[in-house]
Amino acid sequence: MTGRAILAPAVLAALVVVAAPISSASAHHVGAYVPKDNAITTNFKQVKFSVQAGKYDVAIRLFDSGALRAEMRAHAATLPAGLEDGTRAALSAGDGPEVERRLMIFFAALSRNLALEADRQIARPDATAETRVATGRKFLEAIWRYYNLVDFAVASRDDKASVALRLAFDEAETYVKSPAAGVTPIDPAGIRQPLQRMAQVLSTLIASSSPTPRRST
Amino acid sequence: MTDAESPTWRIPPRWVLLVAVLSIVAAEVGGGSMARFKVELTRWARDGMLAHPKVHGLVGVRDVDERILDEALVKFDAGLRLFHMHAEGMGLVIIATSMVAATVIRSVTTRRAIIALLTAGGAGYPVGYLVWSVLIPSYGLERAKTIAEWLVWVPFGTATIVALWCLAGLVAWSMLERRPA
Repeated sequence: MTGRAILAPAVLAALVVVAAPISSASAHHVGAYVPKDNAITTNFKQVKFSVQAGKYDVAIRLFDSGALRAEMRAHAATLPAGLEDGTRAALSAGDGPEVERRLMIFFAALSRNLALEADRQIARPDATAETRVATGRKFLEAIWRYYNLVDFAVASRDDKASVALRLAFDEAETYVKSPAAGVTPIDPAGIRQPLQRMAQVLSTLIASSSPTPRRST
Repeated sequence: MTDAESPTWRIPPRWVLLVAVLSIVAAEVGGGSMARFKVELTRWARDGMLAHPKVHGLVGVRDVDERILDEALVKFDAGLRLFHMHAEGMGLVIIATSMVAATVIRSVTTRRAIIALLTAGGAGYPVGYLVWSVLIPSYGLERAKTIAEWLVWVPFGTATIVALWCLAGLVAWSMLERRPA
């Protein structure tokens, strides 16, 4: 067999290989996006893992310089009084369960605030059904990103709250999912009810988990 | 047929080689610029997105918007990277395939048409990724993708696909013709 006789089929095979994949509909692949942690969730994980490893000096340093403390200060008005100082005191005392409880309250508060804001934006009279679905979807994603971090802590302290929140979340998701072909889409305004329920469950959880403020005598 | 009788490899026309080399040069310049001006490009894209909040569905809550902006910025960067990779690769594909076409296809008209399609398609297709990236801040992810698809990817990609399949068919035909009876 001559070199040319081998080369011709090789060229043909190469042409077919080059032409075949770009003829598929997936030719314009533009990459996939994997959501990343933001500064708050990253700092939470750093502090949590330091506490779990018993490295409280590291945890205090990460808490002092990280986004968690800055956010606690920024949201101080909507958080139980003394949450930031109490978290730092628990870290200084090497009290792991107390740190976990306080961080749970913080993330529950962030999730509740997002649920309330979502409800407010979806209730706007000028919002179209499309906008409501898109807004609801984005807020649910953000709520879950925060709540998911503390769900285990919530479930181990108040399993009813954890179940109630998950059920409300599942129900809310049904309003933002694309309907199957031929199925009448659900009114996206219906998402307000599960959002309000989520906010209520989280408010109750925050109130019941927060230390009773000392009475001034 | 012996090796002596068989045709020797022919180089494609100079303009084809020039276009292929320019495509590779553009890929290299693009790749270098991405690294050199990474911060400036990201800032430009972010400012563009913030100037079009409705297009990107921003809701005015940082915890929600950061995720949306991050996804758009990742895709903006991916578009630039894909332009760099495709322009580099398609430059080489143009050289290789047009050389096969110049050697195998006897009909002048067919050869010219296939070489023109391979060159235009190969050089144009990667530009779609650049167009997509540039349009993301103003038009959003999906709208920018649709524009790039219909403006660049579909016409130039189709040109390349059609030319490649025709070339493959002609190579197969020439093999059958040469087979001893």
